[in-house]
Amino acid sequence: MSELLELRDLSVNYAGARSDLPAVRGVNLRLAPGEKLGLAGESGCGKSTVAMSVLRLLPKTATVDGEILLDGEDVRTMSWGRLRAVRWAGASVVFQGAMHALNPVRRVGEQIAEPMLVHSPQSPSQVRARVRELLNQVELPAAKANAFPHELSGGQKQRVMIAMALACEPRLVIADEPTTALDVIVQAQVLDLLTRLVTEQHLGLIMISHDLAVLAATCERLAIMYQGEIVEEGESRALIADPRHPHTQALAAAFPTVGDPAYRYAPATSSPLGLPDPPATGPAEPLLRTEDLRVTFHGRNRETTHAVAGVNLTVHGGEILALVGQSGSGKTTLARTILGLQPPTSGRVIFDGEPLPTQSSALRAYRRQVQLVLQDPTSALNPRHSVYEAVAEGLRIHRLDGDERERVAAALAAAELRPPEEFMPVLPQQLSGGQRQRVVIAGALALEPRLLVADEPVASLDASVRGEILALLLRLRARLGLAALVITHDLGLAWNIADRVAVMYRGELVESGPVDEVLADPRHDYTRALLAALPDPGPAPEGGAKYAVGSRRSERTV
Amino acid sequence: MVDLPLTTEPVIEVRGGEPTGRGRALGTARFIAAKGAGALVSLLLVVVLGFFLFRALPGNPVRAMIADTRTSVEQIEQMRAEWRLDLPLFQQFLGYLGDLLRGDLGTSLRYKQPVADLIMTRLWPTLLLTGTALVLSVALGLWLGTRAAWRHGSRFDRWSTSTALVLWSVPTFWLGLIMLMVFAVGFDLFPTAGMTSPGGVDGFLPAVLDVAHHLVLPAITLTAVVYAQYLMVMRSSLLEEMNADYLTTARAKGLTDDQVRRRHAVPNALLPTITIIFLHTGLLVAGAVTVETVFTWPGLGLLTFQAINFPDYPLLQGTMIVLAGAVVVMNALADVVYRFLDPRVRQT
Amino acid sequence: MSIVWARRRAAAGRLWREFAADRAGLVGLGALLGIVVLALLAPLWISADDLSVISAPGGILEPPSAEFWLGTDHVGRSVLDLTIYGARVSLVVGIAAALLSVGIGTVVGMLSGHFGGWVSAVLMRVTDFFLVLPALVLAIALSTMLARGLSTIIVAIGVTSWPSTARLVRAQTLTIEARPYIERAQALGGGHRHVLLKHVLPAVLPLVLANTTLAVGSAIIAESTLAFLGLGDPSKVSWGQMLKQALDTGSVTAGAWWYLLPPGIAIVAVVLAFTLCGRALEIVVNPNLRARR
Repeated sequence: MSELLELRDLSVNYAGARSDLPAVRGVNLRLAPGEKLGLAGESGCGKSTVAMSVLRLLPKTATVDGEILLDGEDVRTMSWGRLRAVRWAGASVVFQGAMHALNPVRRVGEQIAEPMLVHSPQSPSQVRARVRELLNQVELPAAKANAFPHELSGGQKQRVMIAMALACEPRLVIADEPTTALDVIVQAQVLDLLTRLVTEQHLGLIMISHDLAVLAATCERLAIMYQGEIVEEGESRALIADPRHPHTQALAAAFPTVGDPAYRYAPATSSPLGLPDPPATGPAEPLLRTEDLRVTFHGRNRETTHAVAGVNLTVHGGEILALVGQSGSGKTTLARTILGLQPPTSGRVIFDGEPLPTQSSALRAYRRQVQLVLQDPTSALNPRHSVYEAVAEGLRIHRLDGDERERVAAALAAAELRPPEEFMPVLPQQLSGGQRQRVVIAGALALEPRLLVADEPVASLDASVRGEILALLLRLRARLGLAALVITHDLGLAWNIADRVAVMYRGELVESGPVDEVLADPRHDYTRALLAALPDPGPAPEGGAKYAVGSRRSERTV
Repeated sequence: MVDLPLTTEPVIEVRGGEPTGRGRALGTARFIAAKGAGALVSLLLVVVLGFFLFRALPGNPVRAMIADTRTSVEQIEQMRAEWRLDLPLFQQFLGYLGDLLRGDLGTSLRYKQPVADLIMTRLWPTLLLTGTALVLSVALGLWLGTRAAWRHGSRFDRWSTSTALVLWSVPTFWLGLIMLMVFAVGFDLFPTAGMTSPGGVDGFLPAVLDVAHHLVLPAITLTAVVYAQYLMVMRSSLLEEMNADYLTTARAKGLTDDQVRRRHAVPNALLPTITIIFLHTGLLVAGAVTVETVFTWPGLGLLTFQAINFPDYPLLQGTMIVLAGAVVVMNALADVVYRFLDPRVRQT
Repeated sequence: MSIVWARRRAAAGRLWREFAADRAGLVGLGALLGIVVLALLAPLWISADDLSVISAPGGILEPPSAEFWLGTDHVGRSVLDLTIYGARVSLVVGIAAALLSVGIGTVVGMLSGHFGGWVSAVLMRVTDFFLVLPALVLAIALSTMLARGLSTIIVAIGVTSWPSTARLVRAQTLTIEARPYIERAQALGGGHRHVLLKHVLPAVLPLVLANTTLAVGSAIIAESTLAFLGLGDPSKVSWGQMLKQALDTGSVTAGAWWYLLPPGIAIVAVVLAFTLCGRALEIVVNPNLRARR
């Protein structure tokens, strides 16, 4: 048998799981030595369960049926001793979130060396030399062996994970969302490194991700999982160019191609309400302006961070402006300052010709005009408050006149939660992610604001819901003339809905202008680097598209 | 045009930079200095508390003494003079502070001796008792707690947890009384009171054995109550680590169950446990007061009890300041030790 | 609003089912209800004469018999009657001291968690200071200086045992305030009052309730310890007071186990019942703990 890994009719059931459906149902997969396979799907589709079953790392509550043949040997029936020998030496794992997958109180060098010592006793000097070689391979200085995990950046930690995975020269590497929590540019570097090492050493690779573009850029073959089943499998480029299964189509459509006019002002939506026409161009009055805004934080060790370093930003009435940057670029601090949640160190915020008030009653009146939509709707809603209470919260704070119930109903309807009465008594946990985000938006709309500040409004949503929320923002703008400042790390989102884009880097705005101009002809190096970091799924079909963009979750590390 | 760093790690982290060896040593020095200053402030607070509890509260000691028929006029006059009760409160405080700095804690009403001398002679028995109990409780609590958590839900876990819960609900002095009644009075295996046999014994080894013989019951009583808490703390912090991702990593590497526990889970779970153990030093002190009272063990606890019953205010004030001060100092030391144990704290 | 009420009823039902799933918690609750009823009804069959030192019905230190199931004490009173009657003082002191302590802890914890800056720094410093101090030693000093009486004991226990609650509530407040829905409430225009009363307090209350239940247990132990050290109210019958008299009158050396065991076992039973209830409540409040029990 020449297959490196073969899954035959694999099913996994969790005892006590809420749904009757098994987490994984009848999965068949084969991987030849040296082959790279991508496993794609939305959260909860069972892709991680498949990966963990290969080394029998599932929790005790899981029952596994079918066969898992690693080099022809069934992992399910191995003795403990044999299983331990196969673990890491036969197949190793690059875990999701290196932050937690590394032991916080032990030096990374020890952690890389540990599996070597477990699997083949060697002298300390041999081990040290090998650790140095491995760190060298992942492009880290050998001195980092003495570091503790918390002393490394996210990208460095992921490199350590990769070095660790290669330590025992396994024939198969399983990478579970290896780049999820990383920034666009770091993500590209880590992906590059992993692919290069795996190819050089002729290892088999199973890469798991929710991001088709990432997988397509790395793997020869793709398998798409949906509700525990593999719904489509095939050669990467062919599969992306011509998806058959509706779910694959939805996943593929969620990743717009920057530069392709077909995706301009056209997020993927299947809503019957359709998309409004692109806005007529014409200069509107400036609604919000910042003048040389600066926010400086003082850290514990007397270091100062210039989170916002002299920003001049303008949002016009009825305009959608995308503020693009990596995490740590200061874009969220900028948003908080605009909302008056963070006092600026110097500079001014001017709304509708008036400077941002400082005394609390005037600030409250200001906040009626400018509303916030947060990244993760699950945590943006108090789990104890019903939809009605969540939407009415702002009305009660501002003691608005008129019938509260009527206003709530109107806001819910505006956020396209229809019929509103059915949603009112529901608690947030009973709603889907997209519906929760609509509740947050309804809560903002209830105060009839003129500007919406949306901080990564779709980053925590599944790919297929993402387009619907973006389409809602476009329709709200068309219907209510609502301006929006959308903060994102995702250039594709800017291409999808924004009129203008502002690129933020190290607390400064390095470039801004109309989306078509900036993304087609970036002037600043950083904008170019952002565009270049987008994974390239191969020669684009037609239309001269240069980049494909993935929607990446940028989880805020709290 | 701005230079872009070639390896673009997130900006904040690029700015953070590596702490140099010297910077780290400086950081440690600063840390220890800060902790020392904090401990000094806490000690000062203890001193202030000791002052106000005994003079500014409505139950002014002299008034209480006048009401108490057991106290003589001379004793009242002695208090009045020693505590400078005729001066304004602020000058009383300055005088009190000066006395403390000279190591003068006043004169005991009951023993007619300097309080500081009394405390010094009673210090060692207390250290012997609490030290023995602490070592036993830590060893027992951590070992049983680790076993219970690792075999979570097993019969061993259920038994050790239930035992710990019951012991947690037992008043220490009552447990001591029962031990006294059963093992000292009933079976006559151990002495009922004191630290040494009346009349004394000859020779060094017999003397040591004699003290050890007296130590058994008080030490077991104190250990029984204290280990239960350590067990629960160790168990829950290990259970908290049980689902940590790095344990999955360790298992995936091919480590045996034992190796995963010893090398990865326990070192992480120990850190919060150690903090809590030090934070609860007060528990040990409270235990010492009641256990020493029950077994008439001649330590600070018994001294406190004797001060309460007299009532001997200078002595009570002295024991309170010493006991509270000791706990404050212990915790400051724990903070410093912890910094060397946990690499995450070490850096910041 | 009927929707809200219906939801609250449903939520209460769900909480009860979750609590009832914990067998130990149910046992604790049952035991507590029994003890409370017994303590409330005690005056119906125990008269002042039964508890009087002068008109005691039995002989001195009689062992258990048909007339006195648990024997008599050093003046001839029924130990069973004393134990039942003693529950009244122990429960009152335990509950009142726990409420006082948890009340102080909740206010301090919420304020130091919500307001940053020097308010938080000062409150934390004070909390940490009192947290490490041996509470019993402080309580001893306090009750020596104040007039003897139940209220003194309650105050002495209450004002020395709040710091752990404050730490807990502060941690929970910080967790809640880190949630984006607080930022959303602020962006909607809500001020300190709105955030504290509408979001933080409802989220902290269940935790406080579980904490109070656990605190009653510790307070009852503290009460008995203070009484044993001679700082109780000698005019009231409490379990600690009984044990002190047992020791003072030489019952231990006389081997009068029937005088020593009942009050002690009563303390263990009540404290254990409160602890079991509290732990079950903690799980209902924080389901993540279930895996750790």
